[in-house]
Amino acid sequence: MVNYIARRLLFMLPTVIGITFVVFLLLALSPGGIGAAASAAGGQQDASKAAILEAYLQDRYGLNDPVLVQYVRWLHRLSPVKFGTRDQITPAGERLQAPKEIPDPPLVTWGGFTLPQVPAEAVGPALKAAVEDERQREYRRISNDALSARSRYLGAKREFESALVEYARAADREDWLDAKGKIVIERVGDAPADRANTAWPAVEAAFGKMASTWSEAMAKRAVLAKAFAELPFPEAGLPVIPGTLWVGTPDLGTAFSKSRPVGDLITDALPVTLLLNLIAFPIIYLVAIPSGILASARAGSWFDKFSGATYVALWSVPTVWAGVLAVGYLASDEYLGWFPVSGLHDRAADAWTFLPGVQADGSWQIGWITDVLWHIVLPVACLVYGGFAVLSKQTRAAMLDNFNADYVRTAKAKGVARRDVVIHHVFRNSLLPLITMFVTVFPATLAGSVVIERIFSVPGMGSLILDAISQRDRELILANTFMIACVNLTALLLADILYAVADPRVSYE
Amino acid sequence: MNNRFGFKDFIQIVLLGAVLVLVWMSMLQRDREWVLQRDILDKLGAVEKKLASGMVAAAPAREGGSTRPAVRDESWARAGVPIEWQEPWGFASDPASQPGFSEGGEFTEIFEGQPPKITPNIASDVYGRRVIDRVCDSLGAYDPRTLRFRGVLAAAWQQDPAGMWIRVRLHEGLRFSDGEPLTAEDVRWTFDDYIFNPSMETERVRATLDQIEDVKVIDPLTVEFVFNKSLSFNLTYTLGNYVLPKHFYSKLQASQINSATGLLMGSGPFKLERLDPENQWAPGQDLVLVRNESYWGPRPPLERLRFKVVADSTSRLAAYQSNEGDMITPTSPQFVKKTKEPGWDGKNQSLRWVNMRSGYSFICWNQGKNAGRQTPFADKRVRQAMTLCLDRERMLKDIWEGVGVLSQGPVNPESPVFASEIKPWAFDPERGKALLAEAGWKDRNGDGILENEKGDVFEFEFIRPGSDEISERISTFIKDHYARVGIVMKVKPIDWAAMSDILKARSYDALTMAWAASAPESDPRQIFHSESIKEGGDNFAQWSSPAADKAIDGIRLTIDFEKRRQAWQEFQAIIHDEQPYTFIRVAPWARFVKKEIGNVQMHKSGLEPWEFFRAAPAAAAAPSAG
Repeated sequence: MVNYIARRLLFMLPTVIGITFVVFLLLALSPGGIGAAASAAGGQQDASKAAILEAYLQDRYGLNDPVLVQYVRWLHRLSPVKFGTRDQITPAGERLQAPKEIPDPPLVTWGGFTLPQVPAEAVGPALKAAVEDERQREYRRISNDALSARSRYLGAKREFESALVEYARAADREDWLDAKGKIVIERVGDAPADRANTAWPAVEAAFGKMASTWSEAMAKRAVLAKAFAELPFPEAGLPVIPGTLWVGTPDLGTAFSKSRPVGDLITDALPVTLLLNLIAFPIIYLVAIPSGILASARAGSWFDKFSGATYVALWSVPTVWAGVLAVGYLASDEYLGWFPVSGLHDRAADAWTFLPGVQADGSWQIGWITDVLWHIVLPVACLVYGGFAVLSKQTRAAMLDNFNADYVRTAKAKGVARRDVVIHHVFRNSLLPLITMFVTVFPATLAGSVVIERIFSVPGMGSLILDAISQRDRELILANTFMIACVNLTALLLADILYAVADPRVSYE
Repeated sequence: MNNRFGFKDFIQIVLLGAVLVLVWMSMLQRDREWVLQRDILDKLGAVEKKLASGMVAAAPAREGGSTRPAVRDESWARAGVPIEWQEPWGFASDPASQPGFSEGGEFTEIFEGQPPKITPNIASDVYGRRVIDRVCDSLGAYDPRTLRFRGVLAAAWQQDPAGMWIRVRLHEGLRFSDGEPLTAEDVRWTFDDYIFNPSMETERVRATLDQIEDVKVIDPLTVEFVFNKSLSFNLTYTLGNYVLPKHFYSKLQASQINSATGLLMGSGPFKLERLDPENQWAPGQDLVLVRNESYWGPRPPLERLRFKVVADSTSRLAAYQSNEGDMITPTSPQFVKKTKEPGWDGKNQSLRWVNMRSGYSFICWNQGKNAGRQTPFADKRVRQAMTLCLDRERMLKDIWEGVGVLSQGPVNPESPVFASEIKPWAFDPERGKALLAEAGWKDRNGDGILENEKGDVFEFEFIRPGSDEISERISTFIKDHYARVGIVMKVKPIDWAAMSDILKARSYDALTMAWAASAPESDPRQIFHSESIKEGGDNFAQWSSPAADKAIDGIRLTIDFEKRRQAWQEFQAIIHDEQPYTFIRVAPWARFVKKEIGNVQMHKSGLEPWEFFRAAPAAAAAPSAG
C-alpha cells in the first residue's frame, strides 16, 4: 500500500506540470494572448508615450519573452528546488531577485554602429556603509538608479524601433512590420543597411541615444549586481550547491491585473468559498444519501416517486434564475425582505459580539455568527438545491443492485433485522459509487460558483478566476490551475485508498 | 455486547464539538476586544500628545480663511509675472442652507465593480478613484459649477507666459488628516519620490507627466514646476494630482506600497476609518471613510461614507430598495421603469444629467487598409453617408430607452469649449444614398445591394466587443439600417481581451466603442492626430487630416483660453464635416439616491458627496408629506 501511494505521489508531479503547461499554452494561443490587459496602456497619452509604457510593462512582467521561457520561469518560481543565486528577503517580506540581464541593443553590426565602452567597475565594495540599516538603504538607492537607467534604455530602444518603422516605410517594405505595425528586427537585419534612405539620419540618431543609455544601464546594473552579491539582506532558503542550487519556499508571483501577490488574493477569496461550500456539501450529503436509502428500501412507494420527482425538478431549475428570484422576492424589501440582499455581514456587525446578546450600545443584536449565517442562507440554498438529484439517484441505484443480490436474501432468510440488512449489508456494499462521486465533489469545494457569487455579491474564488481569465492574468490563472490540479489529484488518490478500505476485495499489493 | 458506534455516541461527539467551537469563539471574541481596547488607547495617547504640544487642529485653518490680510503677501512670486489668486475652495452648494439640514450619519454608495486597491496613483479604476477623491486633495480642481480650473490646496499660482514653468503658492494652515502640516516639501516628494520613483508602480501616471522637468521647493508654502515642453494642458495635468503626506508614505518601502490594498491618506474632507499598514482594508470588505475632524476646509455634514460592491444589476437595485445602500447607478431600463412607478418619487431622488465625466459612444470607420484591402471608408462622402443613413435618434429611444443625448463630436456638451452651434447630422437616407452614388456606390445590377464600378459589393465587417445585450441590440439595429440602403454588414462579436490587438493591428472595417471622459478639455491628440496612427496609437480610425492636425496643435500649444477656444471650435467643425467616427450618444450619469439624503446636486463635475447630509428622520418625513 505504502509503495502504491509513493508511486502515485511521484506520478503526480509530471501530471501537474502537464496540466499547467497545457493551460498556459491555451492562454498564450487565445486571442489577446497573455497579459493583454496589462499591456493595454490606459489614460490619455500620445502613441509614442503609450508605446514606451507598453515596452516598460512588458519588460517588468516578462511578457515579451517566448511562451516557453515565461512558463519555465513561472515553474522555477513555484518549485521548491531552485537554480542560480539565492533570493534575498527584506524585513518587509519582499523577495529580491538577482538583477535581470539588460537585453542587447539590436542591429549593431547591421548598421555598422559602434557601441560605447561600458565604464569599468569601480574598485572596492558597492555598499560602503557598515551598519545593516544603512547598507539596505544604500542598496535601495542603487537599485532605483539601475531601474531608472533600465527604463530609460528600454524607452530609447523602443524609440529606435519606431525610427526603424519609418525607415521601413521609406524603403517601402511594409513586410518588415508585423500585424500590429511593430518592426520585426530580424526581417530588417536580413537586408543590407541603406544609408541613402530618407529615414536613415533618424535611425542613426535613435541608435546613438539607445547606445548611450545602454552603456549607462549596463554600468548601473553591474553596480547593482555587485551590491546584491554583498548580501544587504538575509538570504532566502537553504543552499544545496552554493550559487547554483538551493531550496526555498514556493512563490506564486504577483497578479498583474490587480498588482497584488497571488497568495494574498487567494487567501482573501478562499475562506469565503470554503465557508459556503463546507456548509452546502454536508447538507447535500445528509439529505441526499438517507433519502436515497429510504427510496431504495421502499422502491416504488410514494416517497420514492415523490422525492425522485422533486429532486429532478429542482435539478432542472437554472441557478441564475433561482438566484435572481431569491434576491427579488425573498430578500428585497419590495416583497418579503426576509434575508439580506448582498455581502456576508451587516454594516454594524463588526462591532457586535459573536453570539446573540446585548451589545456595547445597549441594543440587542443577533450577533456576528448568526448574522453571517443569516447572510449565507440564500447563497447556500442556491448551491444546494441542484445537488440532491444526482447523489440520491446514485445511492438508490447502487442500493437496489445489492438488494437483489444473493447475500441479502441469505441474510433475510437468517432472520437478520431489516434495518441491519439495509444499513450494514446493503449500504456498506453500495459505498463504492458514492466514493467515486466524492472525488468529483471534493475539488469543487475550492472552486467558487461564478453565478451565485455575482448575484449575492459574495467575493469568492469564482469571481477571482473569472476576472483573471478575462484579463488574461498569467500568474493568477496558473496558480489557480495548479491548486485545482493538486486537489483533484489528491482526491483521486484518496478515493483509491478509500476503495481499498471500503471493499476488502480491492487491494494494491 | 460490542462497542458499536451508536446514535448516542454521535450526539455526544457533536455536543463536545459544539463546546470546543464555543470556547474557540469566546477566545476570538476576547481577542477582538483586546484589539479594540488597544486601538482606543492608541488614539487616546495621540490625542493627549497633541494636547500636550498645544496644537489644536482645524481651528487655525478656518481663522486663517476669515481674517485674510488686506494686503496679500507676494514675496514668494517671480517678479513681472501676474499672480492668479484663487478663491478659497469650499462647498459648491452649502449644505447648511438646505431644508432639513442635519449633522452626522452614514451614507452608503453601492459600486458596480470592485476596486482592487485604493492606493493613490496606483489604483487605476474608476471606483478606486472615487474613493481616493474623497480622501486626497489636489493643488487644483475643476469648479463643480463652472468647470473652470481653480485652486484647492493652492492659494495662487503664476504661469510663465511662455509656458515653461508654473509657480504655486499653498494656503496657510493646511493639514493632513493626522494633523501634520502639508507643505511644499510634500508636493515635491509626491512628484519626485512617489510618482517618478522607478520602483513604484505609478508608471501610468508617470507617462502622462513626463513634461515635468523639475519640481522645486521655493519656501515651505511655495513650489515651482519646470517643464520641458510648453503645453496648454500642463496646468491641469500637473496641479490636478493628489498631494500625499511624505511623513506617512516615506516610512514604507516602495514594494509595500505597490502591493498594498488600503494605504490611503491625504488632506481631504474624509479619511480611512482604519489606516493600519499591518491590517489593511482588503477588497471584498466594505470600505468605510470617516469625517476628517481636522480638515482645513469647511466641515462636511456626514460622519461616515461607506462603499460596498454589488456586481449584479438586479441585486444592486434590490439592495438599494432594502436600504442596504443610499445611492446606486441604475441601468437605463431600471431607471425608466422605476421612475414610472407610483410612489417612487416620494422615497427616492432620480438623478440623470450629463456632466464632464460623461463619455460618448461611436462607430469607428477604419479608413486605412484591413488585411491589405482598402475599406470603402477612406472617402469622406461615404462616412457622411454612413452617418446620414443611421437613425441615431431612434437608436437612443429603442436601445437606451431615451436615456442620453445625441453626440455630435468628441467634446463633452458641458465643456466650456463645446461648439454648441454644431448639431448632430440629421437622419436622411436619401441624401446618404446620393452621397454614396457620388462616391461610386450604386445598385448596378438591381439586386438591392450597392456596387462600385469594379463590381465589388459594399460589404463590411462590424466588430462588436463584449457579449452584453445592449451591444447585441446596437449591432442588430445598425445592420438593419444599412441593409435598407443596400449595404451588407457582417457582425463579428469579439472578446474584450482580444480587442486591443485588433485596434493595434487595425484589422477591422468598423467597430463600436465608447470613450470615457474625465475633464472638460482632454487632449485630442491621442485619438485624432495623424501622428497617433503610428505605433499602434489610438487613432485606430487611421483618420488623417492636415487641417485637424493643425487645430490639435493649436489646442495643445495655446495657453490663452479664448484663443484656445477658437482652435477647439475649428477642430470640432472639421470633425463634424469629416466624420471619422459616427458619433452616437453621450451617456449621462444616472443615480438613484434616497430621499433622506439632502443637498444632492447635479454638478457639472459629477457629484460632491462631501456636501451631502442625512436629514433627521422627522425632517425627512415633512417634505414627503408636503
